[in-house]
Amino acid sequence: MPHREVLAEPGTRVVMLGNVAIARGALEAGVAYASGYPGTPSSEILEALSEASKKLGGPHVEWSINEKVALESAYGASLSGVPAMATMKHVGVNVAADPLFSLAYTGTPSAMVVVSADDPGMWSSQNEQDNRWYGVHAYIPVVEPSGVQSAREAVIEAFNISRRHGHPIILRTTTRTSHTRGIVEVGQINVEAVRGKGKFRRNIERYTLVPSHARRLRIELLDRWERIEEELSRSSLNSVEGDGELLILGVGLGYRYAREAARLLGVEARIAKLQTPVPLPRTFIHKALEGIDRVLVLEEGDPVVEQMLKAFLHDEGVRVEVHGREDGYIQRWGELGLDNVVEALSKLTGVEAGLPKPPRVEASLPPRPPALCPGCPYRGVYPGLRRAVRSSRVEVVYSGDIGCYSLGVLPPFRVQDTIVEMGGSIGLANGMARVAEGQVPIAVIGDSTFFHSGITGLINAVHNRNPMLVIILDNRTTAMTGHQPHPGVPVDARGGEAPQVDIEALVRAIGVEHVETVDAFTIRGVERAVRRAMDYVRREGKPAVLIARGSCILVALSQARRLGVGYPVYRVNPDKCMACTVCYTAFNCPAIFSLEDGKAKINPVLCTGCGVCVEVCPFNAFEPVEEPSEEWILLMRTATPG
Amino acid sequence: MDRNIVIAGVGGQGIITTAKILAEAALIEGRNVLVAETHGLSQRGGSVVVHVRVGDVEAPLIPPGMGDLLIGLEAIEAARYASLLAPGASVVMNEDLQPPPLPRVKAPSLGDVLGSLKAAGLRVYSVNAVEEALKLGDARSANTLLLGYTAGLGLLEGVARPGGLEEAIARVIRRSRTAVEAYRRGLELASVH
Ligand SMILES: Cc1ncc(C[n+]2csc(CCOP(=O)(O)OP(=O)(O)O)c2C)c(N)n1
Ligand code: SF4
Repeated sequence: MPHREVLAEPGTRVVMLGNVAIARGALEAGVAYASGYPGTPSSEILEALSEASKKLGGPHVEWSINEKVALESAYGASLSGVPAMATMKHVGVNVAADPLFSLAYTGTPSAMVVVSADDPGMWSSQNEQDNRWYGVHAYIPVVEPSGVQSAREAVIEAFNISRRHGHPIILRTTTRTSHTRGIVEVGQINVEAVRGKGKFRRNIERYTLVPSHARRLRIELLDRWERIEEELSRSSLNSVEGDGELLILGVGLGYRYAREAARLLGVEARIAKLQTPVPLPRTFIHKALEGIDRVLVLEEGDPVVEQMLKAFLHDEGVRVEVHGREDGYIQRWGELGLDNVVEALSKLTGVEAGLPKPPRVEASLPPRPPALCPGCPYRGVYPGLRRAVRSSRVEVVYSGDIGCYSLGVLPPFRVQDTIVEMGGSIGLANGMARVAEGQVPIAVIGDSTFFHSGITGLINAVHNRNPMLVIILDNRTTAMTGHQPHPGVPVDARGGEAPQVDIEALVRAIGVEHVETVDAFTIRGVERAVRRAMDYVRREGKPAVLIARGSCILVALSQARRLGVGYPVYRVNPDKCMACTVCYTAFNCPAIFSLEDGKAKINPVLCTGCGVCVEVCPFNAFEPVEEPSEEWILLMRTATPG
Repeated sequence: MDRNIVIAGVGGQGIITTAKILAEAALIEGRNVLVAETHGLSQRGGSVVVHVRVGDVEAPLIPPGMGDLLIGLEAIEAARYASLLAPGASVVMNEDLQPPPLPRVKAPSLGDVLGSLKAAGLRVYSVNAVEEALKLGDARSANTLLLGYTAGLGLLEGVARPGGLEEAIARVIRRSRTAVEAYRRGLELASVH
């Protein structure tokens, strides 16, 4: 997605996504280096910066192999004297936590902002962690914009604070800021700065964290922390409005809910906007509390501010009722919403909520979990895998991982027994291989995930001789998060040419003996290759790797459109179809439906012309409306993003 | 007047594009707008809902009971998010029902869904947007056709004017000829309604 609006003329008002507003703010602040690893809801920030970089000749933008390298790269750039930014989703910060803690100790001679895009509600994540704790834990101040409306200014201010104190800042955004579109008035991009280069100036006492240096820096860090806290009490990011005996403390997006809920209920209250939750700016809070006897804290995630506020009140000996997530006024899990905020406010003030009762629709609606796209290369791999396992009569554990292929957890495939974190498939398989008696682990991992953190687990498996089958699903992209490139494809973040790291050569080089690459679009081919690899693992007691290659069909389709290559659509010959149901149950393609009589029918609008159904049908009922072209057959196997 | 519009459908149907067009059109109209989108996992053929709020609004999500219009690109998903609507609100639906690709799951019929929405006291309008868009050469234009149909019914008053919507389509969609044609066809079909 190009996000061209990131380059809107200064002074204009444009509709943009929160993430694009964050990118724009960074450009106005003069960011010269940006790196990241994709992850919902963070990815569009770097995409928009890439788009800007193509036109402006800066900043330098790259997709890193994982979040740790992303943070380290930006750290290095920042130590070399330019304002830098690293972007990632909340769980990515766990991967990057090691350098993050050091960053606070060394500080930076320029400016550095780490964007953590949190996902309360877990719309696209395995957990609901609140990364403001990282701010508390690592002594890094957290800036949290109050919605898309303030994202741009908040980023600019984050860079300013960082520059003034030579200290990193965490910009915490959440799904409803990152993925909400709103009207943003933009300012001037600092073109000279975004193209800027710096110099690394040696300062061994500061940049080498040997214990003697680190002890001194720890004391400096605590001192900086105090000074930053004092300054945040005067920050333009925080403000107070309205009056009453009730204070609604709106943290980040909580501020927007505070204002709208108070207006809906017609409640008189003082509302504080707090966009710098960590460290708690005590003087600001003190002032906001004057004459107040009750506080409602509205924050996305954990009761971070609520707990700090209570500790502060305790220290000050002030008795004020504090309500929020801890005492259940707002539920402990999930996102804020006008409904739960209005309810809390109404409970607190006794003002009747009076939200209209929604209509009751009496229909039994089946759930609609996400599914592999019609034409997805994995739809051929999974039945092949299952058939091979069934016929080999070996008990297996499917050690799964994170990506589009995680959808193989759903029926009818059921080929993920564990999904815990990126890279975990191979990691867990190491342990299973040694103690799960009579069971062979099969790690199922995507190409981007393999580079991110699968490779280390595999080296471990080779060295420790842990028997497992690793299936690398090479769909030539990081699909789940919006089709970003990764080191295995020949394109970089800006769509330019890049050297590609050959997975097969890499895996051989670390000492895996049984390596095979198979076409993902042939069920039988996959089945035979899995059987061969399983035989090897059982015979030799060592790891084997199977690379199933086939492009993400969405990437293939968009390339086909661009190149003017047509793709075929398939249909069912009703005379041949025997209503055996295999294609819409066991194969489960969303483009194939059952008719009243149980026969299959293809929805031509959904069909993407992969043709795998031809192999699935025992009666040869599927046929292309037009024969597929050679160009299309090649694109399905080779297309990469960009 | 504030307007709260729910757009629902199946990932891949152009739901976010539809919302982007509405947001641009609101900007052209000089109105404030917020669009809360669903990205990531559910875009893979899952249930997708987008909240469009126009006017003096600050929070991104429409609370249950306050939506005044639902644009449904798919019937089951339209019904699923009807709980966001106010009593008596309007539903404009594409006559398309896609059974979820789950083995052995029984899906209701299009007639069932339309009937239950009406029985819940909602004002329901429907058009076969996919079929009409296919006549113009591209099924992917079903979304702008449905927008045209909605505008033609007068349900986008206070959000955008027909001319503004056309300009918005051209701004949002790169090769927009068919999309604009579909939009106009939608307007026309609504006037016959
Ligand atoms: C530490 C971490 N970073 C990022 C993500 C977000 N994320 C989920 S899946 C995925 C990429 C998957 O790419 P790939 O392995 O190629 O599988 P595909 O989606 O292409 O099938 C990413 C980056 C995450 N869940 N955890
Ligand atoms: S986006 Fe690509 S990889 Fe993901 S489910 Fe669809 S076809 Fe498969």
